[in-house]
Amino acid sequence: MAAPTSAERKACWEARDQLWQCLDDNNDKIQSCQKFQRDFEAKCPAQWVKYFTKRRDFLKYKEKMQTEGFKPAEGPRVNS
Amino acid sequence: IGFLLRLQRTGQTQPCLSGQLSQRSLTRPFSRAPHSAASQARLKLRTRLAVTLLFGGGLLGVWWYVDSEKQQRLRQQRVEQLRKVALGQGAFSLLDHTGRRRTKQDFLGSWVLMYFGFTHCPDICPEELDKLSAVVSALDRDPSLPPVQPVFVTVDPERDDVAALARYVKDFHPRLIGLTGTPEEVKHAGRDYRVYASAGPKDEDGDYIVDHTILIYLLSPDGLFLDYYNRLKSQEQIVESIRNHVHNYVSL
Repeated sequence: MAAPTSAERKACWEARDQLWQCLDDNNDKIQSCQKFQRDFEAKCPAQWVKYFTKRRDFLKYKEKMQTEGFKPAEGPRVNS
Repeated sequence: IGFLLRLQRTGQTQPCLSGQLSQRSLTRPFSRAPHSAASQARLKLRTRLAVTLLFGGGLLGVWWYVDSEKQQRLRQQRVEQLRKVALGQGAFSLLDHTGRRRTKQDFLGSWVLMYFGFTHCPDICPEELDKLSAVVSALDRDPSLPPVQPVFVTVDPERDDVAALARYVKDFHPRLIGLTGTPEEVKHAGRDYRVYASAGPKDEDGDYIVDHTILIYLLSPDGLFLDYYNRLKSQEQIVESIRNHVHNYVSL
């Protein structure tokens, strides 16, 4: 399977950006963005779909950490 | 400060003055013969103030000198460390995207900007190569600088053969050379620059992502590693850095 050409890369990135824009506008409700999801999966190799999906999850998580802060996990107390 | 304050109080309690002052003249080497109690206190105060300031200034001067020596030593240590790490000391032998064999020797005499990646890379490699191409183009426009050679080395020799590289490099700077080879040759070249590369699991299409070091390496005309630039470095920052290296470069 040959690697995507420059044009194919750009088409994939555009589809991804449109999907992410839709998700941003719809509060990450994937149901409202089915059309963009299908377009994204059609224009990008399967590995890239997985990669970009994970990337979005990471970026959202990072944003949450930066805006809401985090609670350290509660585990067994260690005597210091 | 303590003894200065004590001096001021001494100036105000006159009856006890001479007794305390004579005690002070025994213990303090800077005392002089008393005229009037108040003016003597002021004189001593001025003297001690001047001495304190001079002493303080001297201390500051010494500290500043020692600190600048330390900075100089740290800079030299960093250069020594980079030399000791001596990335890129070895000789690599790879095929370029036209099928021609290229060794490290072929690149001696030129400044080289090297990036390790793979053609199936979703976004990072194209972005870094775009940045690299823009850097080389910017440097090309400066007539005081020699031409810099951009090089792309694959970390995915299984898929990135000569044809795949030829298709890939044409999207970037016209002088960009793509390098590949057998898995052994590629691993050897990567090891030379301490490049980390790890292929991920294959999916049903046989596709996979290769996790790898994302750095642009600057090599001097002697073939030695001089500097590196990560994702956070902008095109302008890299151009500035290379310009500095070229102007400060002394051939071995």
